[in-house]
Amino acid sequence: MAAAIDGVFPATLQELVKKSKVLVVGAGGIGCEVLKNLVLSGFTDIEIIDLDTIDLSNLNRQFLFHREHVGKSKARVARESALSFNPDAKITAYHDSVTSTDYGVNFFKKFDLVLSALDNRAARNHVNRMCLNADVPLIESGTAGYNGQVELIKRGLTQCYECTPKDKQRSFPGCTIRNTPSEPIHCIVWAKHLFNQLFGESLEDEDISPDAADPDAKEKDGDGEPKKDDENEKEKGEESKEEKEAKEDTANGNIVRINTRQWARDCNYDAGKLFNKFFNEDITYLLRMSNLWKTRKAPVPVQWDTLQSEGSSGDQKDVAKQHHKVWSIEECAQVFANSLKELSGTFLKLEGDDTLAWDKDDQPAMDFVAACANVRSHIFDIERKSRFEIKSMAGNIIPAIATTNAITAGISVMRSFKVLEAKWEQCKAVYARLRPNARNHFLVPDASLPGPNPNCYVCASDPAITLKIDTKRLRIKELRDEVLVKTLNMLNPDVTVESSGSILISSEEGETECNEGKLLSELNIVDGVILKCDDFFQNYELSIIISHFDAERDENLFEVVADASQLKPKDEEQKKDTVEAKEDDQKTATKRSANGEEDSKDDGPSTSKRSRPTEVVEEDDDDCLVIEEDEDQAEVVIVATDKLSVQSPPKSGAKRKPCEVIEDEDITEILDSSDDEPAGPTKCKRSRLDESSSNPVEVISID
Amino acid sequence: MVVDMDTNEISVELTEAENELYDRQIRLWGLESQKRLRTARILIAGLCGLGAEITKNIILSGVNSVKLLDDKNVTEEDFCSQFLAPRESLNSNRAEASLARARALNPMVDISADREPLQEKSSEFFGQFDVVVVNSATNEELLRIDTICRDLGVKFIATDVWGTFGFYFASLQKHNYVEDVIKHKIVANADKKKKYETVSIPTQRDVDYPGYSAWLEFDITAPSYLRKLKRNGPGVLLLSVLQKFRTTHQRDPSYKTREADLELLRGIRDELMPNSILGDEALGLIFAQISPAVAVVGGVVAQEVIKVVTKMEAPHRNLFVFDPDTCAGYVETIEAK
Repeated sequence: MAAAIDGVFPATLQELVKKSKVLVVGAGGIGCEVLKNLVLSGFTDIEIIDLDTIDLSNLNRQFLFHREHVGKSKARVARESALSFNPDAKITAYHDSVTSTDYGVNFFKKFDLVLSALDNRAARNHVNRMCLNADVPLIESGTAGYNGQVELIKRGLTQCYECTPKDKQRSFPGCTIRNTPSEPIHCIVWAKHLFNQLFGESLEDEDISPDAADPDAKEKDGDGEPKKDDENEKEKGEESKEEKEAKEDTANGNIVRINTRQWARDCNYDAGKLFNKFFNEDITYLLRMSNLWKTRKAPVPVQWDTLQSEGSSGDQKDVAKQHHKVWSIEECAQVFANSLKELSGTFLKLEGDDTLAWDKDDQPAMDFVAACANVRSHIFDIERKSRFEIKSMAGNIIPAIATTNAITAGISVMRSFKVLEAKWEQCKAVYARLRPNARNHFLVPDASLPGPNPNCYVCASDPAITLKIDTKRLRIKELRDEVLVKTLNMLNPDVTVESSGSILISSEEGETECNEGKLLSELNIVDGVILKCDDFFQNYELSIIISHFDAERDENLFEVVADASQLKPKDEEQKKDTVEAKEDDQKTATKRSANGEEDSKDDGPSTSKRSRPTEVVEEDDDDCLVIEEDEDQAEVVIVATDKLSVQSPPKSGAKRKPCEVIEDEDITEILDSSDDEPAGPTKCKRSRLDESSSNPVEVISID
Repeated sequence: MVVDMDTNEISVELTEAENELYDRQIRLWGLESQKRLRTARILIAGLCGLGAEITKNIILSGVNSVKLLDDKNVTEEDFCSQFLAPRESLNSNRAEASLARARALNPMVDISADREPLQEKSSEFFGQFDVVVVNSATNEELLRIDTICRDLGVKFIATDVWGTFGFYFASLQKHNYVEDVIKHKIVANADKKKKYETVSIPTQRDVDYPGYSAWLEFDITAPSYLRKLKRNGPGVLLLSVLQKFRTTHQRDPSYKTREADLELLRGIRDELMPNSILGDEALGLIFAQISPAVAVVGGVVAQEVIKVVTKMEAPHRNLFVFDPDTCAGYVETIEAK
């Protein structure tokens, strides 16, 4: 408790530390470290909040917790442990969600400083808004693997957490998942959907059966434009009977899904029957959509009977426990049968409409997904993965180590001294990296303190956004749940139509229930209409300008445009978007290489760098590109198709074969980070560095 | 106790419990690295706050054994950052006082304490370890241990924190490791649209690290170094001043004699390098060891130990400086003369 001993700190800082009241949000990897640093520095008035309980896999870094604490409240155990370091501190622990309405603006106003150590964007956005409202400085931090970052957010002085748009989560088009997977992740997503179809809450966009309406399966027009409905109608005559039936089935998606679940139940979850349906009949069906396989390798259906090896029933259970081994296809079939049995048993015991929720830490659920993903990978000639690797991808596990958390939390509390002293200019963001940059820094402070974005839809005065939305297909309930809550991170918004003042969505329960099922257009929410949203609890008001567009198949039904000036007349839109995407892409790549070469491999949410050495930065547009790679030849083959597909190398480069590294001659161009930097400490270099560090790859998570 | 020396084989399989406990880090550095960690024997000499931080991180990572060596007793000053020693342990031996909490961090690691003075430890003692980390020793002592370690092929790291300022020096001799070299491929199509793909290529490297004498012989006042000093700030200069203080007075500056010691420090600074960029304010935060700075330096040092043990990724070469004012952490390459 440094501040309790006279002479350790300079006198002014000593006083500030002694009398300040601080809030720590999150008692995970960074939170434990922050709390320790605070009590040892001599802060005596501390509150800490976390809704989580302690898990065994936390113990490699959340050092305030031990084995006997597993299952207990993180906030409370962290408090107990920290008090043993400094019994004179006063720590209040809340085992609760920081987004609960119990912690309003007045709660936040009590503090001189808030340190956030969260692991998800929704809570970060919320804490950001509360601190802006309460006008309390916020030190925001996060780590992922070797990367860490700390930044100050202060109203009117700095950027807020939401001033810069964050990367969206990676998502895949439905037909890639259902018809034409080309990467392990596609099969993993499909397997999770299959789990939900059978046992979980089945969602409309999680169909797993072949998609007969895949535009790829149709003969192409010259210009590649998707056909209008009436043209499809004409073509129908030429389709086979099955395809026609399938099309009608998918048109009533819901019925098909319920039937799959019911059908599985009716077959008593017979492993052979289910296996053959998903991995033989459905694949045979896909093969009939012959256009799909003109430029792709066709899938090979597998048959349950052929995978039954004799006399191996004894060690069946053990196969599933070999987490690091890549199971053979026969072993996958075994694990499939065993996990199916367990899951169906549990499922049938549920009451009423209850369903299972997929959880990476639930053993049969994880076994099932690993087995199904691998069988599907095998069918499509995609590299199979170990259960361990699949868990990373399926569970979005972000690797975490004690040292990065310690370093990041240390910097957080170092910054809090400067904040208390109001030395704002010395509170520039800091990034922790594995490897030093060109100036030999690996703990890298930003060159400047970026000011607020005047167009930020959170911290600007009178914020407004344009919402591109298909008003003919989206319902009011979805406007609230998907757009306002999930995307714009409101908690419980009220929405009125500006021109008429009529209430569209009310935060009072039941008040606007009759609107929920209606389409926006039915309530006359059409192009040009302005909505006023107000989240009372967050003290947040936002104007939304509606801009209608007709969404394509597989396209999102809405998109938030934070800066209205980005909207261009409709016919130019398409073109411009692609160009922008490309420019962004380019920027990302340069940015990454300039900011330390390890960045790109660690920032993906899904895998450890070991399992996915190749990563394509962007892949959801309609470019013409196929990359194929051999294990021993980094050869780039470019083939024109109308759909992007990237084939991962059959064996990943993680295999250690240093001597066989091929020279770079086959690679079109290399941007090696170290070569990219000018050598001397020139002006030019400094500005480059500033640019790179002010736009770092965002680290989104800790846990 | 003497640790079994026959554990350098990495054919061992991790148990299910280990796999579960170390899951999040195995996903970062891989199974092979975790197996290497499991065989590593580490010495931490000097259980000050920094020693406690390094100890914590190393134990959490899942090494084979850690020996805590210290002949000093717990003082009030330790409560600024030494969280392994409980309040009740005031005036008892620091290494022994740290044992219970260190063991609670990870029951799978073999942890022992040794209260003999570092100065009395001979070559045989250091030979038991794969990595030796020494905190708060004088330059003479560091040089002696470095020489022993270089003879034995033991990797050696010297480190320290004064207040919020810290450093380490890595004397790793010949070190080989594997690092993933990331290349960015531009993949173009007919429309000249550019795509990027990153490819990681595991590459074997060998690097030579000079001994601690390289730092002792390093001339910070050399004109060739001045420009660098200006760019990176006064860290290396501050380190020289503090080490000179320790050598001259056989102790560190104390908060109990704050003003007098500040005067002595200013004297050393002006003698070493008149009109330097090392301001008086930077000297105000060098007392005791302040927890957040110790966390940063302790985190960095522990990560270096992990890199050395796992032979994955390049250890920084070879002088690390943490600048508390900017929170910059940077590396100076000190070559042997």
